[in-house]
Parts: sequence; structure tokens; C-alpha cells
Amino acid sequence: MSGWYTVAKWEFIKSGMKFSRKSIFALLLMLLLLSIICYTVALTDMSQNHKIYTLVTTSPDLKNIICNDERFQTLPEDSRDSDITIVEYNAYLSGTTKSMAAADALEKVLINYREKVLSSYNDINNTHPVWVTLHDLGRPESFQVMEIATKNENQLSNTDNYNLDTGEKYKSDSNTAHSSSTFISAEGIDDPDSNSKILFEKQTVATPSNFTPPIPFTAILYSFLFIFPIYFVSQFYSSSIMEERTNRRCEMLLVAPLKRKEIVLGKTIPYVLVSLILLSIIAMYIKRPSDVQELKTFLAMLSVIFPVLILFLSLSFIAAILSRSFKELTFAMVFFSVIVSAYVFFPAMFANVHTVSSISPMTLMVNLIENREISFDKYIFSTLPFYLVALSLYGFGTAIFREEDLFSQKTIPEKIMDCMEIFLSSPGGSVFVLSIVSIPFVYMFQLMMIVMLFNLPFPYSVITMIILSALAEEIAKSIGIYTIIKRKLKTANLITTGMLSLLAGIGFFFGEKLVSMITLAPIAQSAFGSVMTTGTLFLIPLLLHVITTTVTSMGMYFTSPRYYIFFLLVATGLHTVYNIYLLRGLLFV
Amino acid sequence: MYNNELSLKKILTIAKREYHGLFFEKTFVLSVLVQLFIASFSAFLVVGLTSFYDPMALQGMQMKESKIGVIGDTEGEIFRLMEIDDLEPVKYTDFKEAYTDFYERKIDAIINIPDEKPEGNNLINIDIYLPRSELKATIVSLQLKKPLEKLEERVRDIRTIRLDGYKPLNIHIMNWNRSTSSNKLEFIYVALLPLLMFTPALISGGLVIDMITEEFERKTLELLLATPVSFLDVIGGKTLVGITISPIQALAWMLLLRVNGIQIYNFTDILLIVAIVSFILVCVGSIIAVWCKERGTAQLFYSLVLILLFMSSYLYTNSPFNLVSRLALDSIMSVEVFMSIAEYFFIAVMLLWILTKVTKEGTYEGLR
Repeated sequence: MSGWYTVAKWEFIKSGMKFSRKSIFALLLMLLLLSIICYTVALTDMSQNHKIYTLVTTSPDLKNIICNDERFQTLPEDSRDSDITIVEYNAYLSGTTKSMAAADALEKVLINYREKVLSSYNDINNTHPVWVTLHDLGRPESFQVMEIATKNENQLSNTDNYNLDTGEKYKSDSNTAHSSSTFISAEGIDDPDSNSKILFEKQTVATPSNFTPPIPFTAILYSFLFIFPIYFVSQFYSSSIMEERTNRRCEMLLVAPLKRKEIVLGKTIPYVLVSLILLSIIAMYIKRPSDVQELKTFLAMLSVIFPVLILFLSLSFIAAILSRSFKELTFAMVFFSVIVSAYVFFPAMFANVHTVSSISPMTLMVNLIENREISFDKYIFSTLPFYLVALSLYGFGTAIFREEDLFSQKTIPEKIMDCMEIFLSSPGGSVFVLSIVSIPFVYMFQLMMIVMLFNLPFPYSVITMIILSALAEEIAKSIGIYTIIKRKLKTANLITTGMLSLLAGIGFFFGEKLVSMITLAPIAQSAFGSVMTTGTLFLIPLLLHVITTTVTSMGMYFTSPRYYIFFLLVATGLHTVYNIYLLRGLLFV
Repeated sequence: MYNNELSLKKILTIAKREYHGLFFEKTFVLSVLVQLFIASFSAFLVVGLTSFYDPMALQGMQMKESKIGVIGDTEGEIFRLMEIDDLEPVKYTDFKEAYTDFYERKIDAIINIPDEKPEGNNLINIDIYLPRSELKATIVSLQLKKPLEKLEERVRDIRTIRLDGYKPLNIHIMNWNRSTSSNKLEFIYVALLPLLMFTPALISGGLVIDMITEEFERKTLELLLATPVSFLDVIGGKTLVGITISPIQALAWMLLLRVNGIQIYNFTDILLIVAIVSFILVCVGSIIAVWCKERGTAQLFYSLVLILLFMSSYLYTNSPFNLVSRLALDSIMSVEVFMSIAEYFFIAVMLLWILTKVTKEGTYEGLR
């Protein structure tokens, strides 16, 4: 028990020693400078668009009015290539795309000017005669606003049922709501929780010209705050591990009477603690808990961001172990950060709008910031993949946390195969279990695909999704067998190879069904969801998984592991054909 | 004693070694992937997000008519205005009835029009009820903005005559087809293009830190210095690699954008600026790396400096970001370009001078 504690203490002391008095001074100075600049920038209107449109005018008054806007610059009167030329009361455009945009900007400038002049009159009944008051009205969520799912309702019978169900539920909901509180006054409805931050209170009064639409992304901007400490801490974390690898200080730890698990735990816990402290400070800033209810929200925020933190740390851990140099680590970290951030934030932009949003924990964060309740099954749905992937990454990472992998120039595929080898030769490790363990990875990969393919036009996105998820599933099933044949872990003959593929196929099928039972319900009605749960039938998908795996492994058995990729692609092709056949109703209407 | 003379040949040898490492590790591929990802993502952002803020961008895109419940004065001006635009008003007699339909998602907003005449003297107060935290709320309010503005205009036409000496400033914009909104154009040229241009430069700076701190931490620097290269050659070679790879990526981006139909003027000037900025960033990275000798802290300082530089670029015209936007749009005079480039070049040279100074000191001090 005390093993990890000692390592953790060392980690703390070591990272403290990195900062000499000089560098702490420099750090503080930098932060001070940064806050000054941020403050000054906040006073400006935060844009980089100075002087991008050009204008020629003879009237000095007009020049003053327009150049108040920093986007415009006036050219001397004889110049010919300006975007807008104003003669008397007519504005002539040069006809380019830019000049069209400039005209748009000009119109806005003139409107602003008009409002300013009118405001100076102090006669509101005549200058600003029309006022608009916006109220917020709550109503139950429904996820069918602008998606494929609605278009394809009729083709997917199970989808249809689902929609009907929810529809009925809402109806009964609304009935009860009406009977219990027969009529709610408008003011009563749009008063959310009066002690929340003013920023999210949306009731506003404005004239039509000053009237800006409610922006649904404020909460997202806030949840961005959470990701910054995670970036920094994981940067430090991966750096620390990589440093000990390059200067071989880690060797001391490995020969010490400590279990590998303890070393990894001890190196990780300090970073988890530090980031949790930083994250709670941010959560505190967004919502200061003053009563029990708010304390609950505060804790919920932390529990929503926690899996994201763990995933980031596990990715940095595995990246630090796999990469051969700092450069590689930097690129890997940038790559992972971009991908994971996209996965986390992009769906959250569609919070309350589209089903896809529920795959990201940040959606829950947005809901929390907006003072909504989050349900436990939604939490499980969006965070379980994070936990599982992080856990297995740590498992694999700990397995190769040994001298021959840490201090050698092995290539990345070789290190990954080392992971597999250790896993397969450990007690209880078999291709069957490996297939099950790989499920969260495949699952997360598929969810990530949803995020990335979301912006492709409809039929292509689903077809690409089918091909890529088939590929991912095939890799997951056959990688263990590949390792066994390549590393000669078992004497390969026809029967064992066949048995292995059977086991891997069944294992994957088993895991897949498990996942779909637990989690997939929330997005089942979207077209993407149906790609992932293809086949409610039982036997045929099982057969398919076994057959495609057999194709890959038999192929390798009869030729050599060198042709792994080729047979993998063949199996993927088979798998794709099957899936497209299943989803033909969705694709070809 | 260590050799302190700069030699181009030796620098090139070091640079070649680093290039080799970059391609051997295939890390370059990863970085290009990341950038591609950002680009494809922004492609979505261009059409998607800007359209939320800008009803103009939605024209041409298919958009469903929003059903809006109207209560109060359903005979007046606004009601007629709404029928012209892409809204579908539904009349209700009272709020409760409208609210039931709203709750069941038959309508997306409720609007209460008061019984006031434009010729009257009282304020016209319009109440709009929108679904809380739904995207639909944004869309509906964007659609409502236009008829409301028309109404305001009409009422003002009548009422501003009563004001003392008020003369409206009307400028007619000729031949305007409203094909491009300023938001969209500014998103592409002010946000996307500079981001794509400078991302490689930012990565280059971080890369140089890795290359240099690695030599310290692996203790390979001593070995390297036992050969006839100096510390200055080593740093020089690494810096050179960092500087050269970013303009190449920037060029590739500009060509790609051009293929996508985005017109970019002044290719060479933009490339020159990208090169100078990456020069500056790489020098900053090298100085920090030589100073810290340790990756974690060096990267921390570097990212802080980056944020600092990024934030301060908001403060003045012709910051690198602004300069690239203006050049790409061809909205800048050549004298101004020349002045700014000279300015940045001067900064770059100063930093190079500091780097050589720090490096020379480091040769004696740092290598214990």
C-alpha cells in the first residue's frame, strides 16, 4: 500500500525541484503580463479584422461615421480599386465578393449610426417606438428536430416504435403538468433559478435593431475553461514520464522493490489530485455552491469532467511510453488533444438539439451549467466508454512498463504487440477476453466517427461509417490472433487457428451485445445508431463475426503473417457488404 | 575548449540529421493529419456556425418554416409582415391555448402583439416566448428579426417627423446582390486563414524545444560536442529545420484553399510573413529550451509566451494575423506591407542575436 505513496511523494518533490527561484519569478511575471494583456484585450472588441475593407468618399462627415468601425479604411479620393465608392447618397460596389461583404458591413455601420443619433434625442416614444421582450419557456426535450432520424422514421420500424413511445410519454407528461399547475404565469415560467449567474438569465428587452438572438453556446464557452488545466497537467504528466525514460532515472524505480502497478499509480495520482484541485476551483467559479442543491451540482460537474481527465491522462501515459522521442510525444499529444477535444465539444454544440449530443460528457456539463438535472443513465452512456478505455489503456501501459520496452528503440507496432503478448500469456488472458476488452475501443472509435462524419452529406456519411467501423471491428478481433501467429505463442495448426477465430468472434459478439444492452438506447433512433447495432437478429451476426475472423486468421495461417493487412481488408469487405445489406432500407430508398 | 565559430556546413549537417529523424518517426504525418482535421472541421464551421449568427447565410440553404403562435392584435401590421417572410403564423385567441400547442411542439414560439397604432404616442411592446435553451429559439428569433425591423422602420417613418431637425441618413447601395455576408467572409479570411497559416509555425516552435531538450536529457550533447561541431552549430541546425518546414505547409494550405474556391492575393508576401513569424517563434522556443534545459518547464513557458503573443495581437493593426487577412483580401498598400515586414524582420534578427548570445553563454555554463 505504501509503495505508491512513496513514488507519489517523490513525483511531487521532483516536479517542485524543476522550478528554480529564477523560473518561478519568470513564471509569475509571465502570468502578471498575461492578465494585464487579457484585461486590455477585453476592453477592445476582440477582433483581428482591422482595415479589411476599403472605401472612397468625398464627404468628410461620412468618412468619420464609417471609419468609426475599425474594419474600414478610407483611400485617397483618386484611387480606383476601393471596394465601395460613395458619391452623394449612392454607394457603388466594385463587384467583387469582398465588396458584397463590405456592403453588408456598411449597412450594419449605418444602422448603428442611426441608432446612436436617435438615442441622443431622449424622446423614446418617437425614436424607439417598438420594443421586444424575450421570455424563456420550458418544454420537454425531443430529439427529432433536424435530423436524418426523422426523415427515415418510416424505414426503420424499431425507430418508429421508439418515437411513438416517447411521444406518448410526453403527452402524458404534459397532461399532468397542466392538471397540477393549471396555468403558470409567463413570469413564473421564465424565472429559472433566481440565484444562478446573471449570464444565463435570458429574459431580455431590446428594440428590433438591437435585438440579438439568444446564443446557445455560452455554456460551451464556459465548459472550455475546464479543458485548459487538463491540457497543461497532461502535458506535464507525459513530459515527466518521457523524461525519466530518456535520462533512464526510471531504471532505479524498476529495480526498487515495488510492483509496476504501484509505480504507475504513484506517478499518476499526484497529477490527478492537482488537476482535480484546479477543476474544482473552476467549477467553484462557475457555480459557487451555497446550499445542498448547488453542492450537488458542483459535485456532478466534477464527476462529469473526471472521466475526460482520466482519458486525457491515460492517453498521455500511453503516448509517453510508446513514443521514441520528445518530438513524437509532442505530435502524439497534439493529435490526441485535438481529436478528444473535438469528440468532447463538437457534440455538445448540439446540446438540446440533436441526439448525437448525448455521446459527449460535455453535453451534461452544458446541462448542468444551465441548471438542468442530468439523469444517471445518460451519465453512464456518455462516460462509460471514457472510463473503460482509460482503464484498459492503463492496463496495457502498465504491462509494458518494463525495462525492455521503456529503454529501447522498439517501433510502436512492436510495443503494441508486446502489450498483446503479455495480455495473452497472462493467466485468464485469451483471444476471447481480448475481444471483449477491445470493445470499448471500437465503440469509442465508432462514436468518434459519428462526430467526424457528421458533416458529410447523408448517404456518404453512413457508408463511410459502415466501412470504417467494419475495419475497426475486424482489427479488434484479429489483432490477438496475429500476435499469436507472428510471435509463435502457440504451435499453429489448422485446428487451433480455427478455434482461435471461433473464440475471438464469439468474444466480440458477446461484448458487443453487452454494450448495446447497457448503453445504446439513447442514440438508437438516429441513423448512425442503427449502424452500430446492426442486426437485432441473434445468430447471423455471430456467424458473421466468426466467419470474417476466420478469413483473416486462415489467410495468415496458409500464407504468412506478412499478408495480415491484405486479409484484414478482405474480411472488412465481407463485413461491409453484410452491413450494407442489412441497412439497405436506410440507404437506398 | 569548445569551438565557437559558426559554420554553415556543420549547421546543414545537423539540420539534415533532424530532418531524417522527423521523417523516420512519421510524426510529420500526424501533424499534417491534425491540420487536415482542423480544416475539415472549419469547413463545417463556415457553413454551420456562421449561419446561426447570420440569417443571410441561410438564404439558399433549405430551412423549414417555423410555426409561430400569434395572440393579441392579429389583424395589424406585424401579422402581415410575418406572412411575407418565411414564417408561418398561427392565430390563437389566448395565451393558454397557444401554450398547450407550444408544449406539444406544434408551434415553436409565441408572439403577443399589442393593440397599438403606428400613429399613436405609446410604445409598442411585443412579447416573444421562445423555447428555453433550444437551437430553435435562435433560429426563430433570427427569422423574426427582419419583420420586426421592418415594423420599426415603418413606425419610425411616421414618428420621427415629430423630432426636431432629424434627417435620416440614407445611402443607397447600388447593385448589391447580398451574395456574401460580411460574417462569412470575415470568418474565412480573419479567423480560418491566419489559423491555418500559423499553426505550422506554432508547432515548429514546440518541435525545436523538443529537439534541444532531448539532447540535454539524453546527455547526447556531450557526445555531439566531442565532434568538431559547436553548440552554436547544433542549435543553429535545429532552428533551421523548425523555420523551413512551416512555410512549406502554409503554401500547401493556400493552394488547397484556392482549389476550394477561396481567392487569396499576395501569395509571396504571406509566405514571407509566415516564414518570419516561424523564425521568431522558433528563436523564442530555442532560447527557452537552452535556458530551461528540461522539456516540461520549457513547454510550459513556450505555451505561456504563445498565449501572450496571441492575445497581444488583438491590440494593434497589422499584427501578423491581421496582416495575413489584409494581404489575402488585397486591402493593404504595398508601403504598409513593406514597413510591417521590416518591423517583424528586425524583431526576428534581434531574437537571433539573443539566441546566439544565450547559446554562447550556455556553452560554458550549462554543460556541467
